[in-house]
Amino acid sequence: MTSFVIRRLLQMIPIVFGITLLVFLLVRSTGDPVSLMLPPDAPLEQREQIRRALGLDLPLWQQYGIFLTGIVQGDFGESVRYRGQDVLSIVIERLPATLELSAAALVVAIGLSLPIGLLSALHRNSWLDRLASTMAILARAMPNFWLGIMLILAFSVVLGWLPVSGRGGWAHVVLPALTLGTSLAALLMRMMRSSMLEVLGQDYVRTAKAKGLAPRRVVLKHALRNGLVAYLAVVGVTSAELVAGAVVTEQVFAWPGVGLLAVQAVNSRDMAVVQAIVVLSSIAVMLMNLLVDVAYALVDPRISYS
Amino acid sequence: MKQGRKLAMAMSRTLLALVVALITANATAQSNQELVIGQSIDVNTFDPQNTGNTQVSAVLVNIFDYLVWVQADGSFEPVLATSWEQVTPTAWRFELRENVLWHDGRPFTAADVEFTIERVANDDSLFEHDSFASIVDVEVVDDHEVIIHTSAPDPILLNRLGRKGGEIIPRHYVEQVGISEFATNPIGTGPFKFVSWSRDDRVVFEAFDDYWRGRPHWDKITFRTIPEDATRVNSLLTGEIDIAVSVPVQDMGRIESGSRARVLPQPTTRIMLLFVNTDASLPTGDPRVRAAIDYAIDDQLLVDTLMDGLGVPTLARISPGISAAPLDEFYGTYNYDPDEAVRLLEEAGYGPGDLTLTVHGPQGRYSQDAELTQVIGLLLEEVGINVQLDIREFSAFQQQVWDPGRIEGIALIGHANGMMDSWFALRGFPCGGAYAGQTNWCNPEFDELLTASEVEMDPAKRAELLRDAFAILVDERPLIPLFQAENLVGVSNRITWEPSVDEMLWMYSAEPREE
Repeated sequence: MTSFVIRRLLQMIPIVFGITLLVFLLVRSTGDPVSLMLPPDAPLEQREQIRRALGLDLPLWQQYGIFLTGIVQGDFGESVRYRGQDVLSIVIERLPATLELSAAALVVAIGLSLPIGLLSALHRNSWLDRLASTMAILARAMPNFWLGIMLILAFSVVLGWLPVSGRGGWAHVVLPALTLGTSLAALLMRMMRSSMLEVLGQDYVRTAKAKGLAPRRVVLKHALRNGLVAYLAVVGVTSAELVAGAVVTEQVFAWPGVGLLAVQAVNSRDMAVVQAIVVLSSIAVMLMNLLVDVAYALVDPRISYS
Repeated sequence: MKQGRKLAMAMSRTLLALVVALITANATAQSNQELVIGQSIDVNTFDPQNTGNTQVSAVLVNIFDYLVWVQADGSFEPVLATSWEQVTPTAWRFELRENVLWHDGRPFTAADVEFTIERVANDDSLFEHDSFASIVDVEVVDDHEVIIHTSAPDPILLNRLGRKGGEIIPRHYVEQVGISEFATNPIGTGPFKFVSWSRDDRVVFEAFDDYWRGRPHWDKITFRTIPEDATRVNSLLTGEIDIAVSVPVQDMGRIESGSRARVLPQPTTRIMLLFVNTDASLPTGDPRVRAAIDYAIDDQLLVDTLMDGLGVPTLARISPGISAAPLDEFYGTYNYDPDEAVRLLEEAGYGPGDLTLTVHGPQGRYSQDAELTQVIGLLLEEVGINVQLDIREFSAFQQQVWDPGRIEGIALIGHANGMMDSWFALRGFPCGGAYAGQTNWCNPEFDELLTASEVEMDPAKRAELLRDAFAILVDERPLIPLFQAENLVGVSNRITWEPSVDEMLWMYSAEPREE
């Protein structure tokens, strides 16, 4: 097990390198921060001056070298938009907001998918199952962006129950969490349903029923525990999806997390910030996947990585 | 199954409880003494000499003061300077206001003026340096008098001092804590004090009790970053914010139909323009073709159909409030005569369908920018020009078309006038100047007029020189101005406040509205 983890961690190194190169080149190919910072009629000398001050006049390989040496020392450079403020601290101070939103969205996703998926499996092909499946397709198909605006219109503008935007008390997190969690809930619900159906068809469940155990006990004690293994693995892997969804959701709700920072940084071609967010979130996703694999082995003794 | 029903019951009960809780937890009502403004972008720095962004200066104006203030009509209001006079062609004396305090209680003196102006004039890494580069020295006469020396006679020194970058910053504080601490935790002499800043979320200011004009009406003002237009408008509709900056035209009706807020037009100094590449190898090198393009475009139609009537057609890059601007002659008027356009094209040797023209334009930068480019294309096709539209996302437009000077015909762009002055609108057009790559236009006569205006201290003579320079542009059309753009600002009905042409969010002038 330990050697498996170490091997996986070592495998991450070339991947992270690849990602740094990719994001470095992509950010530079889509636009120039200086032309976005200055008015379009700014004199050429001023442009050149600022380009020099930001080190953008250096050859690309040299800029990449500076970027890499910095990363190794934990220095992601300075923000262009925030005029020289340290990038790493700018990104880190946004984490709590994004984690709060992601956690709330995960609660929504699990809170909806677990009971509905379970009921769908138990009442397979009933009206409830069909309704749930239809809703799941709908929920998957709705873009976050649109759903967020519709929720704001309904619950904030028309009904006046919840605030429109920003981060504050618990009331502020409800709509963004619903927006972000709905699509994931649909996916997880389908997962829960199929995983439960599979387990319910197993011999030991039939045996349990034949023994005369109460149906409640059969489902909750025997079937659910095994059905949950696959479900939880999917929860782990797809929670990375939340990071991607947060970009859109945070923008719509003016939620000051990493996602909003990413959009604003891309819009102003704040290269160092974009690079830091992409590199750090890819590392986070890879660690998350590793964690899921390890947890999988711990929960299910049949799986071993040696 | 029994347990299924029980689960469903439990779920619906939880949902019900949630809904009840939500109803009682209504959005917090704001106190009468608090004002919340929704902007589309965050403050990038509190260092006023390094922001480079009008929307940020619009916030900073509340915590700092200028020496003089350029008002909407172009006149100068004394602020930290009580009076001024020109003592030699290159020196201006300023008497400074006494009994002005910094937010930490220390007095404001000439040393602060010297520190601020010399910093921005000397440090060429600062974003606002360009506007102050003509200043060579600030001489402190005594605690409340300075003389500013310029390298050459400078007719628009007051415009420079009264705009972005002219905010006076505290010498003692900056020297004590350093500029990077100042940039995130500033003090000024303005009506509001800095309280807190959380990035991409909010900036909070509170009233400064000892402000020299008198204490502001509001105890607290908050600038929130709400990038999404629809969300900003919705926040205004629910009363979460009192002012929504840059409201999209299509949301006007939604705001006006409620009772909570109204929409006010905000004229800006931004003129939407077509830049024309006059290179001889291109059809647009022929002045008749350029004139035909001008005559083919109905500026008023663009304003009426795409901007909901918000805008004023113009023949030059000028608008009310811009100093030395020939408004009577060139503003509020435009050329439109499709028959004349067809005739000019024929004269230039182009029958219907003979001429193919590329129309470049950005997307996502200016209100209705892509739509404007498309309608301009249609109007040109009406007079028999084949149009190739080239619309790109703004930064791609900048990088691939504008900056390298790859305009193959005409290109749409919007230019504001940060200095509120006519010379500023013309400064890019001399031979080899900032626009040389875009227009390939060069006219020595124009250059002479512009150079003469730069040192002409008599306002009337200066205006005359600049008028003649504008006339050359109108005649030769290296650019074809379309119209002055207007923004929309949503304002809550609980306050009175008028947006101004310089786009500053000066909250000292906002007051509660009696109902």
